[in-house]
Amino acid sequence: MTQRKPKMMDKVNAETCDQCGKCPSSCPVTVRIEGFNPRQIIAKVALGKEAELMKSQVLWTCTSCLKCKERCPEEISPYDVILALRRIAINLELPHPEGYDESVKAVVETGVVQQPQLVRTRNKERKDRKSMGLPPAEKPRDMTMYTKTLRGILEEDEL
Amino acid sequence: MKPVLVIGGGIAGIQASLDLADRGTKVHLIEKTPSIGGVMAQLDKTFPTMDCSICILAPKMIECYRHPNITIHSESEVVNLEGAVGDFRVKILEHPRSVDAKKCTGCGLCSEKCPVKRPSSFQAGLGQRKAIYLAFPQAVPLIATIDRDACLWFTKGLCRTCEKVCPSKAVDYEQKENLIELNVSSVITATGFEQYNPKDIGEYGYGRYKNVLTALEFERLVCASGPTGGVLSRPSDGKVSHNTAFIQCVGSRTQTVGYSYCSAFCCMYATKEAVLIKEHEPSSHVTIFYMDLKTFGKGFQGFVDRAQSHWGVQYIRGRPGEIREDPVTKNLTILYENTEIGKVERIEVDMVILCTAAVPHRENKELAQVLGVELDEYGFFEVGDPVSSPVETGKPGVYVCGSCHGPRDIPESVAEASATAAKASENIVLSEVGQ
Amino acid sequence: MKYALYLGCTVQTEQYGYEASVRATMPRLDVELVGMVGVSCCGFPPFSSVNELAWLYSSARNIAIAEEMGLPLLTLCNGCHLSFTETIHKLGNSPELKVKVNEKLAGEGLRYDGKVKLVHIFELLHDEVGKDKITAALTNPLKGFRFAAQPGCHSIRPSRVGRPDNPENPKKLDELITWLGAEAGDYPEKNDCCGSSLAVSAGKVVLDIAGEKLKAVKRRGFDGLVTTCPFCFKVYDNKQRAIQAMGGKEIDMPVFYYTQLLGLAIGLKQEELGIDLNQSPVDELLIRIGGA
Repeated sequence: MTQRKPKMMDKVNAETCDQCGKCPSSCPVTVRIEGFNPRQIIAKVALGKEAELMKSQVLWTCTSCLKCKERCPEEISPYDVILALRRIAINLELPHPEGYDESVKAVVETGVVQQPQLVRTRNKERKDRKSMGLPPAEKPRDMTMYTKTLRGILEEDEL
Repeated sequence: MKPVLVIGGGIAGIQASLDLADRGTKVHLIEKTPSIGGVMAQLDKTFPTMDCSICILAPKMIECYRHPNITIHSESEVVNLEGAVGDFRVKILEHPRSVDAKKCTGCGLCSEKCPVKRPSSFQAGLGQRKAIYLAFPQAVPLIATIDRDACLWFTKGLCRTCEKVCPSKAVDYEQKENLIELNVSSVITATGFEQYNPKDIGEYGYGRYKNVLTALEFERLVCASGPTGGVLSRPSDGKVSHNTAFIQCVGSRTQTVGYSYCSAFCCMYATKEAVLIKEHEPSSHVTIFYMDLKTFGKGFQGFVDRAQSHWGVQYIRGRPGEIREDPVTKNLTILYENTEIGKVERIEVDMVILCTAAVPHRENKELAQVLGVELDEYGFFEVGDPVSSPVETGKPGVYVCGSCHGPRDIPESVAEASATAAKASENIVLSEVGQ
Repeated sequence: MKYALYLGCTVQTEQYGYEASVRATMPRLDVELVGMVGVSCCGFPPFSSVNELAWLYSSARNIAIAEEMGLPLLTLCNGCHLSFTETIHKLGNSPELKVKVNEKLAGEGLRYDGKVKLVHIFELLHDEVGKDKITAALTNPLKGFRFAAQPGCHSIRPSRVGRPDNPENPKKLDELITWLGAEAGDYPEKNDCCGSSLAVSAGKVVLDIAGEKLKAVKRRGFDGLVTTCPFCFKVYDNKQRAIQAMGGKEIDMPVFYYTQLLGLAIGLKQEELGIDLNQSPVDELLIRIGGA
């Protein structure tokens, strides 16, 4: 584990958190997933326990509803803290859901998270963009440059 | 010997006026509304003694009225100040009440017959008064006032019923405003506070959910002189609330919507209000959602302890995330985390009281300019060093007491009022001996 | 009124019904949609949890394309709208970051300015097209129906960067519903999340979260749920059967994109609006609406 404290964590005022409880009581995940509590996440950050959080499963279960960010009276956003921790965790190659790697790969290589799908109507008919009369899907004009730029960004050490 | 000017007729202004008057100093007490009394006149009981608020206030109000050394200027405001300590020249604008103060007996017949209704600010908007009205039953001075923006005569040239029914012929539509000039040795500012309006805290639904009220609205509801005669019946359907929740720190202790400071007395008034409910109905369920319990004063901790152990008020540490309203029953569901055990829960209640912060009066800005003094970053009056000059502004001879310079409870306001009276007395002595 | 139409990945690659209904209805309201060439993912789903600069780059390049076109940028997805809004906000507050992003964009010959006018679909319909125009276009008002608005988290939060509607009391989608002749209605669960972002880590929990909303909407007597976000729609509509399978209870709640209902109200047919792709039980309602 790197000793370097990621610069984004310096922007978080976790120490000013009063532990009031507005964020977990607004959160759809806290009531459903054991161990996920944005207030406790901030408490851990304030106590310098980011490493523990980055190794935890629950870091990946925030649904980005943004109620915590909206309502926090101290303008601390547990959501943004979670994102910051996720970025560090992925950068350090700590365990994380595969879905992130898959969508990153897809977007970097093709410009979109997935290729246009074949979908079904309620009558089980198959349809695609063409049969729906929709124009073909778009992607970056200079795909090579797009891929190269994104890869370059992802390889730089900044998050 | 020059008189002293006291701006604001709440408990602080009243106390300062009485202290000075008893000492032989003449006082001009300026009050913006039709009656002195301030917020204390609207409260049901005071903490921690649970005294009836108006019962302990009214004798002081009457004393002010009767005191040979005090002149009350109600419906008045300070519009100009010049000079320096020992010799201030002040202009007071007396607004017309459209009623002859010398003739009105306060019988209230005019108000009974008046056809126009308006929300009563004394009843915190929960009840109504008429276009011609007496501020409240114990008002001082007990003189009717016409709200010219509501009166049919002033707006449409109609009615004049009050004039017809007044047995003392006291109604005077021609009455004009009056600008008077005073020469005073000191000025004491005691203009008090406003209550934070929580409508911008959208997650609590104030203004949208009928059964979410502010603390001051609650005081009127539970008070015998209130719109429901002291019955805790909720606005949506009049049903008596058997399950009430209080939420602390509404509009305070926040960097976002509201003010960042702690409003000092809300924990105590919430406890008082919770106990009031229990006194009315011991089997009632009462919950207070708090962040910390600020029980800094004498007897405060004991008061809270008794609220829990004797009365069974439930205290939960957790600032609720949101309040939801059932579209049919209009009951409220509070989403909260009990932070002591780390559990997120919901509770359904009949009524929610938002314990709103004491915030600076919106008129402070203008008054500060007139007086030539500073306001702090929130809009409260600024004082000098809190250790050496806690009741003095930057301008010698201009003092502040009570909540106009920050949230204060009644004992503190009274103590500060006496402090400013003492300071003002120094100036009288000085001005007499020619400094 | 001309707009650069930004579809976003989810619409472009699977939520064809949404796209079809937008393309069918907008011209009827004098809104001209111009396709954007060379656009890519808005960056939020793949990059927000991975790398901020990658996110800003992905987002900014699409904004840059709209700016090149000299047209306002119209989004159909709540997530895309928030992604662009946050980018504009961040780069607006940080000139150094803006310079950095532009350095990266230069490779593709793009340049981000940040002056684009960003508009979300319900914002366009409510604030710019307006009530009079919509009501004038109605040939089949949806009288007697009551729909629950699903504004969706990302269209109303976080208010500090500016959102098209109020975070705690959003009203625009409700009003749009009433302008079609139907009734809308406040309900306590309105501002709740659909849970879709959890799909990558806890799929079952998504179904539970979404199921709670659907059950609430049913309990409160609504005829259908209306949304303007393909993520919300995907969970409530496409996954409704999975939700039922998990919950064991009949939910039976028709789910529509707003533009689909709009289309029905202005006399367009089910197929033109891609409603045949809706997986939720819409058939009975469609018969009652009479817009077969």
